[in-house]
Amino acid sequence: MEHASLASPAAAHAGMHADPSAHTPAPSFWPILLAGGMGAVVFLVFLVYLGVPLAGVLLAAAVLYTLVAASGWANTIAVERRHMDQVQTNKDLTRGFFFFLASEGMIFVSYFEYLYYSRFTSAHWPPAGMPTLETTLPAIATLILVGSSFTLNWAVHALLHGKKTAAKNWMLLTIAMGITFLGMQGFEWGFLNGVLGFTLTTGAYSSAYFLMTGFHGAHVTVGLLMLALVYWRMEKGEYNQQYHMSLKAAEYYWHFVDIVWVFLFFSLYLFQSH
Amino acid sequence: MSTHVATAGVTQPRQYHGVLDWITTTDHKKIGIMYIVFALINGWLGGSLAGLIRLNLYNPDWHIVSPALYNQLMTMHATIMIFLTLMTAFAGFGNYLVPLMIGARDMAFPKLNAFAFWLLIPAAMMLYGSFFVVGGAAADGWWSYPPLSTAQFSAGHGEDLWILAVILLGISSIMGAINFLVTVIDMRAPGMNWMKLPLFVWSWVVTAWMLVLAVPVLSGALFMLLSDRWLNTGFYRPALGGDPLLYQHLFWFFGHPEVYIMILPGFGMISHIIPSMARKKLFGYKGMVMAIWSIGVIGFMVWAHHMFTAGISASARVFFSMASMFISVPTGVKIYSWLASVWGGVIRFTTAMKFALGFIFTFVLGGLSGLMLAVVPFDILVHNTYFVVAHFHYVLVGGSVMTLFAGTYYWFPKITGRMLSEKLGSWVFWLFFIGMNWVFMPMHLLGIEGMARRVANYRIEFRPLNQFISEGFIFMLLAGILFTYSIIKALREPKTAGDDPWQANDIELHLEWATSSPPPAYNFAEIPEVD
Repeated sequence: MEHASLASPAAAHAGMHADPSAHTPAPSFWPILLAGGMGAVVFLVFLVYLGVPLAGVLLAAAVLYTLVAASGWANTIAVERRHMDQVQTNKDLTRGFFFFLASEGMIFVSYFEYLYYSRFTSAHWPPAGMPTLETTLPAIATLILVGSSFTLNWAVHALLHGKKTAAKNWMLLTIAMGITFLGMQGFEWGFLNGVLGFTLTTGAYSSAYFLMTGFHGAHVTVGLLMLALVYWRMEKGEYNQQYHMSLKAAEYYWHFVDIVWVFLFFSLYLFQSH
Repeated sequence: MSTHVATAGVTQPRQYHGVLDWITTTDHKKIGIMYIVFALINGWLGGSLAGLIRLNLYNPDWHIVSPALYNQLMTMHATIMIFLTLMTAFAGFGNYLVPLMIGARDMAFPKLNAFAFWLLIPAAMMLYGSFFVVGGAAADGWWSYPPLSTAQFSAGHGEDLWILAVILLGISSIMGAINFLVTVIDMRAPGMNWMKLPLFVWSWVVTAWMLVLAVPVLSGALFMLLSDRWLNTGFYRPALGGDPLLYQHLFWFFGHPEVYIMILPGFGMISHIIPSMARKKLFGYKGMVMAIWSIGVIGFMVWAHHMFTAGISASARVFFSMASMFISVPTGVKIYSWLASVWGGVIRFTTAMKFALGFIFTFVLGGLSGLMLAVVPFDILVHNTYFVVAHFHYVLVGGSVMTLFAGTYYWFPKITGRMLSEKLGSWVFWLFFIGMNWVFMPMHLLGIEGMARRVANYRIEFRPLNQFISEGFIFMLLAGILFTYSIIKALREPKTAGDDPWQANDIELHLEWATSSPPPAYNFAEIPEVD
């Protein structure tokens, strides 16, 4: 702070007169509505667990309400942003989104920590009584998911070069590949559950397996929803070379989900015995 | 979203009035005030639980509370004080002050800011409500270690509500932290480069980083715990090949950074108050910045010092013991820099300064007992005794709470335009300072003599010291009453504080003192430029 001083002390002093150009953020009901919705969802999950009658119906309603509140919020932001410096707000939102992904990554880190800790403290791996996981199908699924990162990249590239039809086609292919990946994952879960009797409660190892793949699968699902939303907005022709923040966000999210999967594939499938 | 582009001619958005104004506000100053009021209310509630605990320990034969309720009180006291009081109080001051200090008109994401605050309400309702469900509130301590927290030993649904509430609070903290980071990175006034950033802002940057990286790990650990309880998974169940020790690793990977999350913003406050009151520039600004970062980084490498008796390997004990001691180096840099800033100054013993100097004294004591606990053989001896209770209360009450008092007395004029009574303030300081030392100092002795923590009863020879401690609590209570009264009294007085009541800007430039008290909705009529 040694050298800090005000360039023009009087100018900083806001006590003078209200500057008509000083824009303050608009008040909004969305934050409290969304917070209430999230609180209600969490509490109703608890009531469903307790088996309270009608809790399931209420939970569905609360989830729907929360989604509506979130979309209302997103819509307000989209409208507000038209009056703002696009470059700067894009920078802010992108940065914020990266920090969000960093915290998401740390949740996965806690699960990986669990997996590797169990692995290096147990005598056998996979633990006694647990099946060795088949790797061919997951390897194909991995190729498909990693491939979808490339097709998504091409979609974004095409859009930014004005090739809107190509962009939409690449985007559709990406979504199809994502759904295929989820389908293969579901098939494997069914096989492990039904044929091998390897379930969530078989042991700590299977719990970790299902938690990690399930948590990842939930992220793929969210990513697919984002991509579907982006596709819808592409159809409406809402993106151009400057205005495509949500497209970028969906892209980063999808790459993030991919990278996490590569780590999962190596940790859960490739290096099974030690 | 962001407001740093003041487009000429933009009409002011619609404003609501009264309660609706507070509910819909996206102004960082109003959100900051709501955080602070929320923290004060929860401080009273969490403090009342501490009062019940002390009342019970005054004479356990009176059976003021049942042992089962005692465990709930002790668990909820910690949870409320940590998650609903200290973290929210610092978030409140951060929200109010950071945009002002960097010369911005608001946070980068004003709505997200409001959202992070409102998320606290359902979480708090679930925590307080859990006292009234079958089996009562969570009763296994704020760590919630399995196997004690499993469905087998904590069958009540208070534990489930506790887990869900803490996950919600985590989401709120992460959203708030992301907002702080983007705000400081993108919205500094022209010329406000990183090495001119006020130390309170620096401390929040590091705190926010720690929140983003540490809190998700707690969420992950709690998610696995909940799944063990609800879905019968085997994460922490040895019978299924799981390991309860792993929960401790994950919990403290969050829990130790959490300790710094609760003290770093306080360090930042002290770094503002001392130069202003000693009428001398802060000694060693660069060293202070590096010290905050070192604490933030090393803070992630010391977690297992909470687990010396839990069965970790000898080499892990050595590593974590040394890493923990190493953290005293950057902490020492801060302490010595504050002392050097005071040295030779023309000291004004305002209430803020008394709390700041008192903080240095009590925090050093807490740090020293921390060093003792980092020594493995000593830790094994006093683990889970009142020595540990004494240590972390010196850090959290002697550290965090003292800095919050100091910060309140220092920035109250800025936030409200009114001065807090210095005469009452002196009483508040001495009552609190004497009270907290009275209460927590003898706990060191109790611990060394072997009184276990978290137990509703004790051996008869501990009674005199316990009664002595409970009497000291009255001093802290009186300080709390006077402090609250002082705030209410000041709020009824006219706004006479002026822009810079402490003449802080004669010593070092701080932008919050360059605008009016309280600042207008848009903070600065023109975004200031800093040379």
